[in-house]
Amino acid sequence: MEPKLSSDLLRGHTDTIVLRCLLKQDRYGFEIYNWILERTGEQYELKETTLYSSYKRLEKGGYITSYWGDKTQGARRKYYHITEKGRELYRQNKLDLEFTQRIINDLLKEEEY
Amino acid sequence: MNIKQYIDSLFSSYEETDSLADFKEELESNLNARINSLRKKGLNEQAAFDKAITELGDVSTLADELSLKKRQEVFSDMYMKTRHYMSTWRIVLYVLCGAVFGFGVIVSVLSGFFSGDVNAPLGSLLIFGGIPILGFLFLGLTQETAVHEAMSWKRALLYVVAGGVFLFGVIAFLITYFEDNAGLPIAIATLIPFILPSLAFGVFLVLTEKDRSKPWVIRQRKEYMERSQKRFGDPVQQERFGLFSGALWIAAIAAFILLTILFGIKFSWLAIVVALIGQMIVLAMFTKSR
Repeated sequence: MEPKLSSDLLRGHTDTIVLRCLLKQDRYGFEIYNWILERTGEQYELKETTLYSSYKRLEKGGYITSYWGDKTQGARRKYYHITEKGRELYRQNKLDLEFTQRIINDLLKEEEY
Repeated sequence: MNIKQYIDSLFSSYEETDSLADFKEELESNLNARINSLRKKGLNEQAAFDKAITELGDVSTLADELSLKKRQEVFSDMYMKTRHYMSTWRIVLYVLCGAVFGFGVIVSVLSGFFSGDVNAPLGSLLIFGGIPILGFLFLGLTQETAVHEAMSWKRALLYVVAGGVFLFGVIAFLITYFEDNAGLPIAIATLIPFILPSLAFGVFLVLTEKDRSKPWVIRQRKEYMERSQKRFGDPVQQERFGLFSGALWIAAIAAFILLTILFGIKFSWLAIVVALIGQMIVLAMFTKSR
């Protein structure tokens, strides 16, 4: 049996993934999309609209801010920047996820049988 | 199809807002970047475009958020919510007017059958048809809707007077023409004491009408104007075009009535043709100088 990447499972963590992607530097949509594709070995069938919804949601909550970059090659790019509140959310989500992963692992363990 | 056209087509059924325009620009630059990177990987133009579009996914939920409302829903909001402003006595009056009107139609048809002449049905139509029509006019004008404030009842009454005289003029015309067999010129002459002044008074009322639009309608209109201004340039020019056209048609209608009285219908229709030609010339002039 081959392991498959569960896109549904991953989609639930889009916000956290986006925040992680912005930790080190500001990025624009295509960069973020590419960053995720590369790290998932292009196996994740990510829809861009999922990302856009995430940006809007995060921006509304004050976790990221956005600004228009200078014109390069004829088009303006919209960059996203993580705020301090966003970093905090990232850390919290990461802790929650690690904790949950441990519990799931415990629940699915086969040794007890 | 290029990317910009494709994006426009995606959102064609949505009201353009600032945030939607913003999003469309963002989408365009990202899609362009994605297509370029796919082409570098060896895909041809069409394949790269198709793949990028597939990766985009369904935009409708996003567009719903950004645009607040689809155009359709804006319309239904504007026109369907009249019932919120409908009080009980108004509903009763509307229904009453409708019933009287129906009664008037039946009575005039019956009296036409039994008496065999035109006068009797016209007479009953004047009373039982005219009064509910004027009632509807009054109720309609003093009706507050989702887009309009109500007109004051005094002003609405002036409209009713103008409308009443006008209706009377129409009936008088018909009676003179059919019953007295006085011929078309004399029948048309009856237009002068009734139809003409009531029409003039009506036009005066309409022209001196102040804007009763609700604040949100005015706001929306302003936004629309600003957007169309960006697209078409000078709004003053458009306004002058409207005034020119209005003056042209008022003159044409006056000429039509006058010519009908003086020379008969055989020649008076030419006034309308001349006005049509004039209208086209005005349009041509304004589009050229724009």
